Amino acid sequence: MNMRRSVPALVFATLFCAGTAALAQMASDRSPELTGPPSPMETIPAAPVPKWVTDDVRKMRAYPEQPPVIPHSIEGYQLSVNTNRCLSCHKREFTQSSGAPMISVTHYMTREGQMLADVSPRRYFCTECHVPQADVRPLVENRFKDMSELGFKPAGSE
Amino acid sequence: MTAELNRRELLKAQAAAVAAATAGIALPASAQPIPGGVGALEIKWSKAPCRFCGTGCGVMVGVKDGQVVASHGDTQAEVNRGLNCVKGYFLSKIMYGADRLTTPLMRKRNGVYDKDGEFEPVSWDEAFGLMAERAKKVLKEKGPTAIGMFGSGQWTIFEGYAATKLMRAGFRSNNLDPNARHCMASAAYAFMRTFGMDEPMGCYDDFEAADAFVLWGSNMAEMHPILWTRLADRRLGHEHVKVAVLSTFTHRSMDLADIPVVFKPGTDLAILNYIANHIITTGRVNEDFVNKHTVFMRGETDIGYGLRPEDPRETSAKGAANAANMEPMDFEAYKKLVSEYTLEKVAELSGVEKSFLEELAELYADPSRKVMSLWTMGFNQHVRGVWANQMVYNIHLLTGKISEPGNSPFSLTGQPSACGTAREVGTFAHRLPADLVVTNPEHRKHAEEIWKLPAGLLPDKPGFHAVEQDRMLKDGKLNFYWVQVNNNIQASPNSSNEAYPGYRNPDNFIVVSDAYPTVTAMSADIILPAAMWVEKEGAYGNAERRTHVWHQLVQAPGEARSDLWQLAEFSKRFTTDEVWPQEILDANPAYRGKTLFDVLYGNGNVDKFPRSEINPDYANNEATEFGFYIQKGLFEEYATFGRGHGHDLAPYDTYHEVRGLRWPVVDGKETRWRYREGLDPYVKPGEGVKFYGRPDGKAVILGVPYEPPAESPDDEFDIWLVTGRVLEHWHSGSMTLRVPELYKAFPGARCFMNADDARKRGINQGAEVRVISRRGEIRSRIETRGRNRMPSGVIFVPWFDASQLINKVTLDATDPISKQTDYKKCAVKIVPVA
Amino acid sequence: MQRLKEWLLWAWHIVSTPAGTLSLGFLTLGGFVGGVMFWGAFNTALEVTNTEKFCTSCHEMRDNVYQELTHTIHFANRSGVRASCPDCHVPHNWTDKIARKMQASKEVWGKIFGTIDTRRKFLDKRLELAQHEWARLKANDSLECRNCHSSVAMDLTRQTQRAAEIHTRYLLSGKATCIDCHKGIAHELPDMKGIAPGWQVPPELQGETLPQSSAVDALDRYVKASHAGLPMEVMALD
Repeated sequence: MNMRRSVPALVFATLFCAGTAALAQMASDRSPELTGPPSPMETIPAAPVPKWVTDDVRKMRAYPEQPPVIPHSIEGYQLSVNTNRCLSCHKREFTQSSGAPMISVTHYMTREGQMLADVSPRRYFCTECHVPQADVRPLVENRFKDMSELGFKPAGSE
Repeated sequence: MTAELNRRELLKAQAAAVAAATAGIALPASAQPIPGGVGALEIKWSKAPCRFCGTGCGVMVGVKDGQVVASHGDTQAEVNRGLNCVKGYFLSKIMYGADRLTTPLMRKRNGVYDKDGEFEPVSWDEAFGLMAERAKKVLKEKGPTAIGMFGSGQWTIFEGYAATKLMRAGFRSNNLDPNARHCMASAAYAFMRTFGMDEPMGCYDDFEAADAFVLWGSNMAEMHPILWTRLADRRLGHEHVKVAVLSTFTHRSMDLADIPVVFKPGTDLAILNYIANHIITTGRVNEDFVNKHTVFMRGETDIGYGLRPEDPRETSAKGAANAANMEPMDFEAYKKLVSEYTLEKVAELSGVEKSFLEELAELYADPSRKVMSLWTMGFNQHVRGVWANQMVYNIHLLTGKISEPGNSPFSLTGQPSACGTAREVGTFAHRLPADLVVTNPEHRKHAEEIWKLPAGLLPDKPGFHAVEQDRMLKDGKLNFYWVQVNNNIQASPNSSNEAYPGYRNPDNFIVVSDAYPTVTAMSADIILPAAMWVEKEGAYGNAERRTHVWHQLVQAPGEARSDLWQLAEFSKRFTTDEVWPQEILDANPAYRGKTLFDVLYGNGNVDKFPRSEINPDYANNEATEFGFYIQKGLFEEYATFGRGHGHDLAPYDTYHEVRGLRWPVVDGKETRWRYREGLDPYVKPGEGVKFYGRPDGKAVILGVPYEPPAESPDDEFDIWLVTGRVLEHWHSGSMTLRVPELYKAFPGARCFMNADDARKRGINQGAEVRVISRRGEIRSRIETRGRNRMPSGVIFVPWFDASQLINKVTLDATDPISKQTDYKKCAVKIVPVA
Repeated sequence: MQRLKEWLLWAWHIVSTPAGTLSLGFLTLGGFVGGVMFWGAFNTALEVTNTEKFCTSCHEMRDNVYQELTHTIHFANRSGVRASCPDCHVPHNWTDKIARKMQASKEVWGKIFGTIDTRRKFLDKRLELAQHEWARLKANDSLECRNCHSSVAMDLTRQTQRAAEIHTRYLLSGKATCIDCHKGIAHELPDMKGIAPGWQVPPELQGETLPQSSAVDALDRYVKASHAGLPMEVMALD
């Protein structure tokens, strides 16, 4: 999956040594672009481990139901039966002091749909849904279309 | 505070503006009445099961203008009740990777097919034309055993069923195996050997009823996140509940463990026998249950490692030829066998401290505690995987903790339809639908009758299993090979010495159907573009026997077509005269001159239901092409196998209405717990418990010893390699790596290693290293932190990353009974990249 | 036990009986030489026991807290400056160090009697052990943290916005000390039920300021630190 390598040298190396499908296909615009590695069994250098995005800037969700991604590093955060580092800022009771966004109200709901006084234990392990983001370019472009681009003009745009 | 809030507000506004700019959306200054009314905002929501693991979560899929625009957990789905894991929440994006395959591709040079040529777009007609020509040539020259297909637990039920018909009845080859062989063959064999029937007796409702959970080689926190939420809900919400986690390293599931057990690779077998010994010596055997409902058997020992037959480890294994043998024994003999596994001995062998072993054994021994045992690849991908599965049943059977709410030995699956398709439909090299097998003449006859095919048509010899297929390709004995819905070059063990040379062997012709250009596709001779997930009508079966159906919701891009269409359409290119033996045609002249499509899919069963029965709100490309409701026809014909035999499925249309049903579905009611009176309609009043899959109605307790792994670290290759998955990527990553958010959450494989081990070798955190085995090597980066905390002497490398094909390094040793690969134990060395 | 008692009695008898045959010079000089040797040995022992190697020579430390440390930033980081066990757990000034070393006799006791000689025992005792350390660090205003991490030397522009903001609000203002928020920075945490996140100023401390935040206190600490010959403390002054 050489596309994922953001290191330019590697991209060039790949393009040059490819000499196979990828390059040939890219040359002709009728045919699809193949992003698989040029020679599957070749041992290639491993890209450096990228850094996390830590700008604390909330990222727009691709659709309303998407769990927000984490705009900070969670390295070393303990999330176990003993302790939950995420909740120590994002829990409702702590948000005023911490300034962190409050856990969504949906997280207070039990499996049976009952609202609890605190976060439901089924939602305890935050990282099942919420993930930090590494500072890398996508491996492959994704052509998912935002719903606001489809079917109607957003309110106020006319 | 005010100043700060203002600053935050500002930050937020800026962020939104940036995001909007990136997404190319003009933001309105403020809300106004909606142009076109609220109708313009409406999204068409439909249900579907998730495309990833074997949990089988229900999702709601939102479609607008022919595009999937959103998805979320289905609140009505019992499995997940509104939750998804991070992969599930990003399902909306999996179909929209920019490199979707949209046209068939063929390797060509100078305008004609050439195995060493470059891929060029061709028409379906040209692709199928060459495929048919090649298949016929191979059939003529070498016969059916030189034709093979490798499928998957990601096939829909209809696709797997159509494939099994095409291969076994059409081409008369049993060389059909699913990648599920690498995933849960050990579990399936253990079910058959213990209960005579495949798949769990319990269901996910056990999560809410158990008092203790024991994870045997399963990192559910990452691999089955939604089941993990149910387990966490129970553990954190009820103080008496205990969780024990067994693994060869510390991972996220251990974060919830009351009893964390890190054992030396392979020694889980000894721990299992110790627990049995503990139960017996402390007098906690449920004698009534054991006497009434179990029999004791002794397994063949020294059974080898499923390597190539000339390997010294095979030639020296005395029991390798009869690996699956079981001889009757009695309780006293079993007691003697496990009595060797004392606390001292097992603590020493496994490296686990005694107090943990005792606590673990007590969870099972304590009659007042309901225990759910859960396992996945740690057990199944094990050179003694079938034993390990059976040994955990031993413990549940000895204590009678089985087939009732909360007492549940539960085998989890890794693929969305590992159960539904690979196992129930019977896409294994030795199986037919509904637990029937190709070696049983009665079973073959039954299948021929249901399929309305001539007697004696079905081949009786089991075909090549997954690892054997790779070997036979390399050896030039399997020459026409079709791979659907899986990425075998990335997944198969020892790939640079076995599978890859097999695919590139000039004697062979390889076809790969996939949605994306995976390494497997790139190793093929023809690539067929596949429609995926909600681009077709489908049905999956999850790990709790739940069958779940969905409608086609969007159109696949370009000329991509479903695997079902590919199989059925391809079958039109063969006539019975070309592929069936003369004597069968002589005896059944009515079948002469027909295409395989006519006899397999136009047989009066599959083409029974008209297109008018399709819900007009949804497209169905296959039905439109073939002129009948092919999915319903295939499903109903397939269901005939199981109805009345403990595998009853509901009428097909029912499944479009409900969020799945757990078979057997009898009188419209699903079955949650099998083998127990009052819960299972197949157990008659007064019988109490009956394991009716076996003729004597009793389950097998298997006496087997600890045996060591196929390869252990030595002076040169001095460290254990364990491979596996990560939460954010599913299997080989062909879908999840194309979702930017998931890719960025885990952008490349790493070599997780103990920090002290790294320091002793002079390797820095983040340094590039070579991971080298006797078979091959990859380059990776060292990770001494993060989610996996390795003990000294063990490394973990996930296999999702095509730029770090860890399966070049792994060993192609399998369980000799199930033929499932052991991806968890081989010896490697770590060398810094100079 | 009986033998031990006899031995103790015998030793006491020898020590308490006045010397009958040795000269005063011998005793004095001998005492001096002996004293020097003892001091040397004592200091060497002090140094030897003040290393990570010594700490991890016991499996209790090696298999539990040390393994946990190896996953953290105090074991491997950008610049390679790392903290070993005594950096955080043994005070650097002499008197406190000796006090801590005397406390350690209890740990020797624990070692002999196997108080945490299994993982299970360690896990069961983890909360208690952690609470000792939290209390100690709370009482000394996270002195061992500040030996390296001087709050005034923090470049807020090099911290993430979130960290800079919280440090400004809680640490620099003296409302909280390092250990309040950074529990578990180097080891896994015990059951934290009922233990509030640090930046929530605990009720008993609300309205009070920690020593470091007041100029007078800081001066006081500076004087003490100078006497103790501990230059690092200076950094905490301004």
